[in-house]
Amino acid sequence: MIEVQDLWFRYPESDYVLKGISLEVPRQSYVAILGENGAGKTTLVKHFNGLLKPTRGKVLVCGLDTREHSVASLARRVGLVFQNPDHQLFANTVYEEVAFALKNFGFPEEEVKRRVEAILAELELDRYRDRSPFLLSMGERKRVALASVLCYEPDVLVLDEPTTGQDHKQKEKLAELLQRLVDKGKTVVVVTHDVEFVADHIPISIILSRGQIRGQGKTLELLSNEDLLAETFLFPPQLTAILWKLSKLGLHPAPSVEEVVEAMLQARRQSP
Amino acid sequence: MRVFEGLYYVKRNTAMHRLDPRAKLVYVLCITILSTAVFHTALPMIMLFISVIPLAVEGRVLRRLLSTLRGGAMLAAFIFIFNFIGRLWNIGFVSPSSPEFLEALMPSLAMALRFLTLIATFSIFFLTTSPDDFAQALVQMRLPYDYALTFTMAMRFIPTLAREAQIVADAQKSRGLELEKGGFMQRIRNYIPILVPLIVSSFRRAETIADAMESRAFGASKKRSFLYMLRFKLSDTLFSAICIAITAAIIWLRLSSFLPP
Ligand SMILES: Nc1ncnc2c1ncn2[C@@H]1O[C@H](COP(=O)(O)OP(=O)(O)O)[C@@H](O)[C@H]1O
Ligand SMILES: [Mg+2]
Repeated sequence: MIEVQDLWFRYPESDYVLKGISLEVPRQSYVAILGENGAGKTTLVKHFNGLLKPTRGKVLVCGLDTREHSVASLARRVGLVFQNPDHQLFANTVYEEVAFALKNFGFPEEEVKRRVEAILAELELDRYRDRSPFLLSMGERKRVALASVLCYEPDVLVLDEPTTGQDHKQKEKLAELLQRLVDKGKTVVVVTHDVEFVADHIPISIILSRGQIRGQGKTLELLSNEDLLAETFLFPPQLTAILWKLSKLGLHPAPSVEEVVEAMLQARRQSP
Repeated sequence: MRVFEGLYYVKRNTAMHRLDPRAKLVYVLCITILSTAVFHTALPMIMLFISVIPLAVEGRVLRRLLSTLRGGAMLAAFIFIFNFIGRLWNIGFVSPSSPEFLEALMPSLAMALRFLTLIATFSIFFLTTSPDDFAQALVQMRLPYDYALTFTMAMRFIPTLAREAQIVADAQKSRGLELEKGGFMQRIRNYIPILVPLIVSSFRRAETIADAMESRAFGASKKRSFLYMLRFKLSDTLFSAICIAITAAIIWLRLSSFLPP
């Protein structure tokens, strides 16, 4: 679906921000891109719909070279939801805001109306339909921004830091929504430094650090690699951290919840 | 956004950077007087323009200066074209080989060049003067601190704004906005989705900053103290004196008709 071949990129007058990135996001996969602040995650995903063009190397979206296609035509396939909703909200009403992309892509009037209503209902935004998006809370504004991309049903959905500023319940709802999309056959890419969220929900991860890929594969395997995490400035998920602590105490629990609980109980019995 | 590059201060350690902002202002003033009040034709404008280059090289900001000028060239071209057409209009459209044609052409050219010279001069000043030093200079020149601060904060936020404009444009393009689509009016309308978020977030930011400043007691006492003061060094005196002397000499030569107008 998305293929990145030896991608190097730098902004005018800056050093290389991406240094030889190669990766593949297969159709219908659910992938996290993890990395510390400034690792180059946002810069990388801006290549997925052609907003940025490689300084060297190649990015293919559905087999199309991003250098040869307009952002508008690529964006129709790859929906990118930006980190900060305030960088895109502009319309008078939530309805208008969500309809914006649909109108740009030339959907007929009836279809626009149908889709906007549907997505507003799905994201529990329908009661704000005629309100100004600027008057909503941060979590709600983020959902409006998400709705405004989801509504045109791109094949690939890329979300930049979707969990920042969201409480636990909202995160769980987001996870459910993304899982539904994956089940429907969409490809979902989540860019984040929220290790906990990734460990709980996303099966495959790519770890980026200082513009290079430092690991890719099964999330739980990557996130239990102590050296890798230390090198890439990421904290392990709490469960993993507990396991490590336990094994340093001489206990070697296997990674299943029951066994961890058993090991913890054992540790408690041993301590006076 | 490239036009703005000529306004960002770039931190470097060169003689131009070390000069007191007030000494640099003397220089800016001299060039301004010469290019507006003293000379009116193309040749002296070119000379004045060229005189800026060595200072840019010394301050190691030539590349940025050039990119500002590239932005300014558009406006200069407008100035030239409108002037030229206006003058041709007045004398009636004449053949390109007639002396009247040249008489219309040269002053228009001079106007455009004057504009570029002024841009280059101001640009050098801002490229090599930190906003903080500039504010301090304004304060020591008895401008109320509020005004000096307003000005430097505006300068400080130009790069932020430019970067933000880029992000907003990217976000809207990702939702299928095509800036180049449609007729003239449509194209102007295409910018609304970019301008609105930019303005809204600027207001938000202004509010945040105001709160942050008030919570740190900005304006609580009438008399401010300053952490450091600018001092006019010998090199500053020399630089200013040389600027004034050369300018005076040029004006004298001009008044006694040794130099063309
Ligand atoms: N428009 C830009 N111009 C110059 N440098 C930039 C720009 N955007 C980001 N950078 C730099 O590129 C690096 C990677 O940034 P980014 O992709 O935003 O990282 P992340 O999303 O992983 O936090 C950072 O060092 C950042 O300062
Ligand atoms: Mg980012």
